[in-house]
Amino acid sequence: MTPTLSVWRRAVARNSWVLGVWLLLGGLIVWYSTLIPAFGQFQIVSISKNSLPLIYLAIGQAIIVIAGGIDLSLGSLLLLSNVIAARFMDDQPLGIVFLVAVGVIIAIGLLNGLTGYVISISGVPDIVVTLATSYIWSGLALWILPSPGGGTAPEMRWLFTGSPSGIGGGYGMPILMIILPTLLIFVISRHSRIGLSLYAIGSHSVAARLAGLNVRQAKIVSYAIGGAMAGLAGLATVAITGTGDPRFSVGAGATLNSVAAIVLGGVALTGGEGSVLGVVATAVTLIMLNPILIAMGIDSNSAQVIQGVLIAGVMMFGGVALLLRERRS
Amino acid sequence: MSQSTQSPRLETPKARLIGLSVRSLAFVADNPVVVLVAVLAILVLVAGNIQPRYLTAAGLRTTLLQAAPLGILAGAQTILMLTGGIDLSVTMIATGAAYVAANQSPNGAAVAILLGIVVGVVAGSINGVGVTVFRVNPLIMTLAMSGILLGLFTAWTQTILQGSTQVAGLIKTISAGAFWDNRIPYSVVVWAVLSLLLIWLLRRTGWGRLIYAVGDNEVAVRLAGVRVWQVRISAYIVAGILGAIAGILLAGRTGAVDLQLASTFLLPSVAAAVIGGTSIFGGVGGYAGTILGALILSVLNSILTFLNVGQAIQQVVYGLIVLALAWGYAGLTRRG
Repeated sequence: MTPTLSVWRRAVARNSWVLGVWLLLGGLIVWYSTLIPAFGQFQIVSISKNSLPLIYLAIGQAIIVIAGGIDLSLGSLLLLSNVIAARFMDDQPLGIVFLVAVGVIIAIGLLNGLTGYVISISGVPDIVVTLATSYIWSGLALWILPSPGGGTAPEMRWLFTGSPSGIGGGYGMPILMIILPTLLIFVISRHSRIGLSLYAIGSHSVAARLAGLNVRQAKIVSYAIGGAMAGLAGLATVAITGTGDPRFSVGAGATLNSVAAIVLGGVALTGGEGSVLGVVATAVTLIMLNPILIAMGIDSNSAQVIQGVLIAGVMMFGGVALLLRERRS
Repeated sequence: MSQSTQSPRLETPKARLIGLSVRSLAFVADNPVVVLVAVLAILVLVAGNIQPRYLTAAGLRTTLLQAAPLGILAGAQTILMLTGGIDLSVTMIATGAAYVAANQSPNGAAVAILLGIVVGVVAGSINGVGVTVFRVNPLIMTLAMSGILLGLFTAWTQTILQGSTQVAGLIKTISAGAFWDNRIPYSVVVWAVLSLLLIWLLRRTGWGRLIYAVGDNEVAVRLAGVRVWQVRISAYIVAGILGAIAGILLAGRTGAVDLQLASTFLLPSVAAAVIGGTSIFGGVGGYAGTILGALILSVLNSILTFLNVGQAIQQVVYGLIVLALAWGYAGLTRRG
C-alpha cells in the first residue's frame, strides 16, 4: 500500500462518516415532515434555534478533543455565560448588551484558556482538571444569579432566533447563526497553521513536539476556542429562553450531550481525528430526536431510553465496522 | 523567586533545608497515602475548630454515613479506572437498584437486596459487552446506559414500580442505624467489609493483577494469552454490583427512593478515586487511596455545610480543592 493511497483512503473513510451523519439528518428531517400534519417554517425555526446551544458546545468540544483533550466543564461555562448575559443585559441599552456579549465570549474563552494552561503545566489529566473546574464555574454562575431570572435585549433574541420576542420568526437568522460559526471554526481548524497544529498534537503530541510545534500553546488555544464556543452557547441560551438558569444539572446534561454529539459526529476521543462539520449534523440530530419520537406517539421517558439505545447502537455499529476492517487487513 | 531575594549568608542552612525537603519529598512521593492522611487529619481538625461538636462520636458518624455510599461508588470507579475505563452510569445503577429493592421489600430484605444487586449485574454486563465486544468508548457507553436507565426507571415508576418508595425496615437499620452506643453505623461495617474484599481482590488475586495489567498495557496482556474481554466485563459487573449496594444503602439512609437519589454522587465518585491517586488512564492506583479520597470529600462537605456559605461558594471551594489535591498529587508522583 503506497502512502498516498492510504492517505486517500483515510480521507474517504473520514468524510464518509461526516457524509453519513448528514444523510442520516436529512433522512430524519424528511421522515419528520411526513410524521406531522404540517411541516413548515415553524418546525424549521424551532429545530434550528433549539439546536444552537448544543451545536456551539459540540463544536467547542470537538476542537478540544481533536487537540487530544476533553472538557467536562463546557456545560458549566455555558451556565456561566448564560447567567452573566441574563444578569447584565437585562433592561440595558443596545450598546451595553453588545459589549456584554462580546465581553462574555472573550472572557470565557480566556478563562478556559487558563484551564488549558493549568492542564499543560500540572500534568493532571484533562478530564480531572475540567471536572474540578466544572464545579468552580457552576458555583460562580450560582453566585452571580442565585435563582433563574434576568433577561436580554430583543435585538439579542432576534440575532439567534430571528424574532425579537423569541417566538416565531423566520429561519434565516438561526440557520445563519449555525453556518457562520461552524464555517469560521472549520476554516480555522483545517486551513490555518494553529488549526492544523491542533490535529497534530491530538494525533501524537510527542511527534508534534519533536516536529517543532508548541504543544502547550496549541493546547491553550484549543481550550480557549472551546471556551469561546461555550460562551456563545450561553448567549444563544439566553436568547432562546429569555432568562438565565444556573442549575448544575443543566450544565452537566449539556456537557454530556456535547460529548455524545462529537463522538457520533466522527471525532475520535483519542484525538487528532474528525471534523466539526459532522458534529453539527449529530448535534441537530440529538435535538431533533425528541420531537420526532413525540410525533411518533412515544412518551418522553421512552424517548430517553431510545435516545440512549441509539447512541450506544451507533457506536456499536462503528465498533463492529472497525473490527471487520481490522479482520480484513 | 526566593533564590534572588535570599542573602548569601543564609546559603548553608538553606541548602540543608533543601536537602531535607528533597528527601522528605522523595519519601512522600513513594508513599502518597501519607499526604492524604495528613490532608484528612487537617480537614477533620478544621471541621472540629469550626464546629466543636464535630469531634464527637455523633459528628463523626454523620461524616461516615455520608462517606460509606460515596466510598463504595468510588470503589466501582476505582476498579474501572484501573482497567482504563470509567462508569458514568454507576449512580443510575444505584438508583435503579434502590427502586427494585424498595419494590421487593414486602418479600423480605434478603430478596430485596439480592434483586437490587441483580440490577447492577445486568447493567454492568451490558456496559462491559458494549465496551469490550463492540469497542464503544467507556465514556459514551456508560453515558448511554445512564440515559437508558433514567428513562426506563422514570417510566417504570409510573407502572410496575409504582408506590415503591420505601425500603424494608432491615435495610433502613443497616443503612442508617448504628451500634455500640450509637457510635458505629452499620453501613460503615458494610463499607469496611467491602473495602477489605476489594483490597484483597486487587492486591492478592490473579484477577486483581489482571485488572492492573489490562489498564497498564492491554496489548501485552492480550499477547500473553489473557482473554482481555473477560477481565473487562467482570470489572464492569463488579462495578455494577458495588453501585447497586451503594444505592440500596442510600435508599435506606434517606428513607425514601426517588430518581435523583444518587445523581449528586457521580462526579464526587470519580473525584474520590482521582484524589486517592488512581490514574484515569489505568494501571496505577488502588482502593486504599480511594477510601481516603472519599473520607476527605465527605469531611470537606461537612465543613462547607458548617460554614453555611451557600451552595455557590461550596461548589467553588469543592472544585478548587479537588483541583489542588489532584495537582499536588501529580506534582509529587512525577518528582518521584
